[in-house]
Amino acid sequence: MPEPVVVAVTAPLALALAASLLGGRRGRWPGLLAAAAVVAAVALLTRDVVAHGPVRHQVGGWGAPLGIDLFVDGLALLFLWLSAGVGAAATVYATAYFHDDEAAGAFWPAWLTLWGGLQAVFVTADLFNAYVGLELLGLAAVALVALGGGRAIGAATRYLLVSMLGSLLYLLGVALLYAAHGTLDLSRLAAAAGEDGLERAALAAMLAGLLFKTAIVPLHAWLPPAHADAPGPASAVLSALVVKATLYLALRLWTALPGLATAGWLVGALGAAAVLWGGLHALRAPRLKLLVAYSTVGQLGYVLLAFPLLPSSAAVAGAAYQALAHGVAKAALFLAASTVLRAAGGDRLDDLRGLGHRLPVTAVAFGLAGASIVGLPPSGGFVAKWLLLTAAVRAGAWWVVLVIALGGLLAAAYVLRVVGRSLAPAHAGAPPLKAPRRLEWTALALALASVALGLVAAWPLALLEGLAP
Amino acid sequence: MGELEALDLLLGLALVALAWRLLAAPDLFEGIVLFVTFGLLLSFAWVRLGAPDVALAEAAIGAGLTGALLLDARGAMPGASVEGPARLRWPVAVLAAATGGVLVAAVLTLPAAPAGLEGAVAARLEESGVAHPVTAVLLNFRGYDTLLELGVLWLAWLAVAAAGPRPDPRPELRPDLRAEAPTGPVLAALVSQLVPLLILVGAYLLWAGAHAPGGAFQAGAILAGGGVLLRLSGVPLPEAARAAPVVGLGFALFLGVGLAQAAAGRRFLELLPAQAHDLLVLVEVAATVSIAAVLAALFAGRRSVS
Repeated sequence: MPEPVVVAVTAPLALALAASLLGGRRGRWPGLLAAAAVVAAVALLTRDVVAHGPVRHQVGGWGAPLGIDLFVDGLALLFLWLSAGVGAAATVYATAYFHDDEAAGAFWPAWLTLWGGLQAVFVTADLFNAYVGLELLGLAAVALVALGGGRAIGAATRYLLVSMLGSLLYLLGVALLYAAHGTLDLSRLAAAAGEDGLERAALAAMLAGLLFKTAIVPLHAWLPPAHADAPGPASAVLSALVVKATLYLALRLWTALPGLATAGWLVGALGAAAVLWGGLHALRAPRLKLLVAYSTVGQLGYVLLAFPLLPSSAAVAGAAYQALAHGVAKAALFLAASTVLRAAGGDRLDDLRGLGHRLPVTAVAFGLAGASIVGLPPSGGFVAKWLLLTAAVRAGAWWVVLVIALGGLLAAAYVLRVVGRSLAPAHAGAPPLKAPRRLEWTALALALASVALGLVAAWPLALLEGLAP
Repeated sequence: MGELEALDLLLGLALVALAWRLLAAPDLFEGIVLFVTFGLLLSFAWVRLGAPDVALAEAAIGAGLTGALLLDARGAMPGASVEGPARLRWPVAVLAAATGGVLVAAVLTLPAAPAGLEGAVAARLEESGVAHPVTAVLLNFRGYDTLLELGVLWLAWLAVAAAGPRPDPRPELRPDLRAEAPTGPVLAALVSQLVPLLILVGAYLLWAGAHAPGGAFQAGAILAGGGVLLRLSGVPLPEAARAAPVVGLGFALFLGVGLAQAAAGRRFLELLPAQAHDLLVLVEVAATVSIAAVLAALFAGRRSVS
């Protein structure tokens, strides 16, 4: 049998081909099979890492630097679990979301390829292989956005151009590092690399490219329309998972190569700008899905706030946990918002009055996931922000504390915009809303998971221990 | 300065000048023609840098097929033009100059003899099943990258097939490609001479890849060029939506070969040296067919259903 780390990448890819051959809505069967395979593979991989420490797999048996190595440690596992959990939920949601064969026939192969690309990025130890993984998932993400049709085609085209520019900047840095050190394996580079001008230029190009693809302020303008106009399950995986792949690579690079350690405050400042800017725009967004998309711009900023505090272990844990908690909560918000859009035929905030009575399960899901985004205890978002605050106080970085507090207030305000309206009495004569049960309950399951992440935080954090110095 | 150095200098200056001209071109058609010229000159630059494989790919895909796709796209948007003459935006220019300066400085600090993996590749070339180092890296040492790249190509086709318009279900209402195609003895003679030749060249490049510059990507691009010619002269190619099995063949076969090794108790994509040659030839043939089908379908996608 192939090893779990291989199955985690190849199962979605092979089943994407199967979905393409089957065509139409029949693609949901390979989809569900892929979800089962990915969850099982990540579970087996976790067992191996817990029992024997980090797993290294030499693809083709050549071994780095000649061949490509895969590497899975605690940090990679955290992101793999995010991808497995949110991906499985989005898959179940999508089985009930698509009515017509045409949209489903395009969705299933593109989504499963995207999933394989994500897993490939999370398990690779090779910087060029990471580039290929990013291309695979980036192109699939563009195809998913374009499925929205109409307005989404423009958003998808802009997304494609931004994504290509980011990838090329990253590739430029990879080429410089290879020319200097003759290897693409991150751990070998970490052993060989110094802090001279070449390394700094290479790292700066790579990070700029990755942050571009992560939609960090001021390079964020492409994200809200792309994420808001995509079909429901696609919005969820784009906002919860796709932007995390580049963030994961940035975190990996930063902790492995020391070249830019002194520029951490710059990345932190970008993060602070993102937290405030995203929050303010979410406060003014006229539509529910646009509000949720702007919230992503802000929440990604929190992860960058950790960069000036690295390599403290609390900062690594805070960044990783924020990525995890935001991913689960944001997927729940997008799935809930898409259910509302489907059932009500529109998602203008003013039309959400009485949602609590008209679609109670979805309204509860939105409220619970919103609480995690705000950072209320005992949710996963609370643990993430608590870890970040701890790291900031220890380092004496009071401006980080201030930004986290302000960002929390902004998030509370925009989540209350939605929750307040949904608890208000409905307009007279507003028709009752109906949504397939599977759509409502998948969003609720993810929302409950985002709260549970606060209650069981000790376990994922123990996985991370092996990483931080 | 020797003659070759003077040639290199001219080539470099011409590339920069062409790039500027093509960015500043007021007319889309002129810009596309300059883009194709730029690609051809760039492939000369790759030859001078000692990378004939990249040169072949650049000429076939970068200049040839991309140029055809751009011209085709321009034909689909009549009246599209560049918004006014190009002008210098100072903040962008300063940012670009600063980035360029840093990069030039970084490249100048590179060691004179870059630390590459040529030695490691040469030492294990015999186990790879092929004699050409570039093919050995692409298909065996770093075959996993190439596998994922084949996935990218497959996905490009998928995205175009999904975004494009559906063919009319009533065949009698579909446009008659033969009637639309330009006719005349010159085109017919050209196509009947060129297409067999392109198939021959493609097959040669595929065969040569095992021991000399060439391989699936270059061969696939040449074959796709034949597809573009056929399409232009009105020969109906299969609709994009029906091409699924052919387009996914290379990706599926490579993935299957890799997983079969894991099922046999080896690592993923770990080929036994004794079987490596045969398996890689199989993968290359399938990849060539798929690459040609994807590239031709990208060109034909709009036309076959419009």
